Amino acid sequence: MTQPAIPSDLDLLRLVMAGDEDAFTQLYRRRQAGVYRFALQMSGSEALAEDVTQEVFIVLIREAVRYDPNRGSLAAYLYGIARNHVLRRLEQDRPFVRLAESDDETDANASSGTIAGDNPLEELTRNEMIDALRNSILALPAHYREVVVLCDLHEMSYIDAAKVVGCAVGTVRSRLHRARALLIEKMRAGRERGQAADEAKPLRCFA
Amino acid sequence: MNCHELENIARDVAQDELMDVALREAALSHADSCAYCATRLTDERALTHGLRRLALAAESAEAPARVETLLLAAFREQRSDGAAPVSVSALVANRRWLYVGVGIAAAIVIVVLIALIASRPNREPAAPREAKDSPGTFQAPPSPAPEPQPERRPLARHSPDRERQPIRRANSSPQSGHRVVDNGQSGRDMEIATDFFPLMNREGLAEMDSGQVVRVELPRLALMSFGLPMDMDRAGERIKADVVVGNDGLARAIRFVR
Repeated sequence: MTQPAIPSDLDLLRLVMAGDEDAFTQLYRRRQAGVYRFALQMSGSEALAEDVTQEVFIVLIREAVRYDPNRGSLAAYLYGIARNHVLRRLEQDRPFVRLAESDDETDANASSGTIAGDNPLEELTRNEMIDALRNSILALPAHYREVVVLCDLHEMSYIDAAKVVGCAVGTVRSRLHRARALLIEKMRAGRERGQAADEAKPLRCFA
Repeated sequence: MNCHELENIARDVAQDELMDVALREAALSHADSCAYCATRLTDERALTHGLRRLALAAESAEAPARVETLLLAAFREQRSDGAAPVSVSALVANRRWLYVGVGIAAAIVIVVLIALIASRPNREPAAPREAKDSPGTFQAPPSPAPEPQPERRPLARHSPDRERQPIRRANSSPQSGHRVVDNGQSGRDMEIATDFFPLMNREGLAEMDSGQVVRVELPRLALMSFGLPMDMDRAGERIKADVVVGNDGLARAIRFVR
């Protein structure tokens, strides 16, 4: 008994271009999460990630013929569109300062921290560390942030990341190296601040 | 292996990526004997660990179901329209369009305000009034041309080429030089104007590098002095004219406006 063959992205895209709605649904469900997460991790905004995901697939509906399989995978093509939209939106929204995450999300994080692990305090610390890392990534310049998101969070190869970003593989490698160095500096600074606070606490108590 | 070489492969070592076993052993061996590289490797491992946890935390994140619904509607619309672009109506929920709408509305309000401000001087009664200069424009001394009711407009509203070329052509055929003048208002307020007639010689015209157009009213008899036909029955009426005043205050050219 043979397994039904899973159609490739290109097969689905050809069907989409022929007007096959099921193929579009299948392709969307296969690729939307990656695009959405990329936009979310680049911007820190769920609303922006939602808009960008929508715009990416609208482009696919309108201009599927523009995709050239010889220039890279469909996933990389979609990430590239998402990247352009994200950067444009971030540029437009630059005057606005990003505020803290919503209360709902904070509550969700807090609750997950209390019930998820065997040691709640340890889990909470880990969640705080992840939040700090997330904020550190969001604070990176966009050209560093995008390579961290693509290569480290989405585990994309240097070659594919270079296609998404539109630069040489060596550039991706050097940017990633620099970005990670910046993140390590921030992690160290955070650790030192934490240690200083721990040492200062007793003094404050007895002051 | 030295520190520089380890620096180049620190991420690969920290991520346990597939790599030459000998290279990995050399890197680890160097880290054992170098405190700086040992710390560097520890930091890389901590960062890699944190990034993996961050990636795992976001693993379940995906676009809300409404995005799929909207896209399917857009897909159906695109399919029914053939090659026509996807209608914006399918994307009502998209906040971007809201921003665009607000931007357009703001632009319309600004344009209307500018139009109102620009049209205000033209609605003032014909009673004697002082010339009003826009900020930064030159306050010209009294022009030698007759100007009972001057109304100044900066010359910058017309390109210098457009202003100077008709002055030269006016010598050859002033009669045929009527043109529609866009006074910056709506189409129904379009004016018909003659070409500019020079009021001084070519050297005097060449000396002018900037100035402004001043709207005046003259007796219709002035038409005759420039060789233009005039209805004698209306000789007592007045006619509008634009006088080009240089930055030295001297009138350089004139055109009649109807």
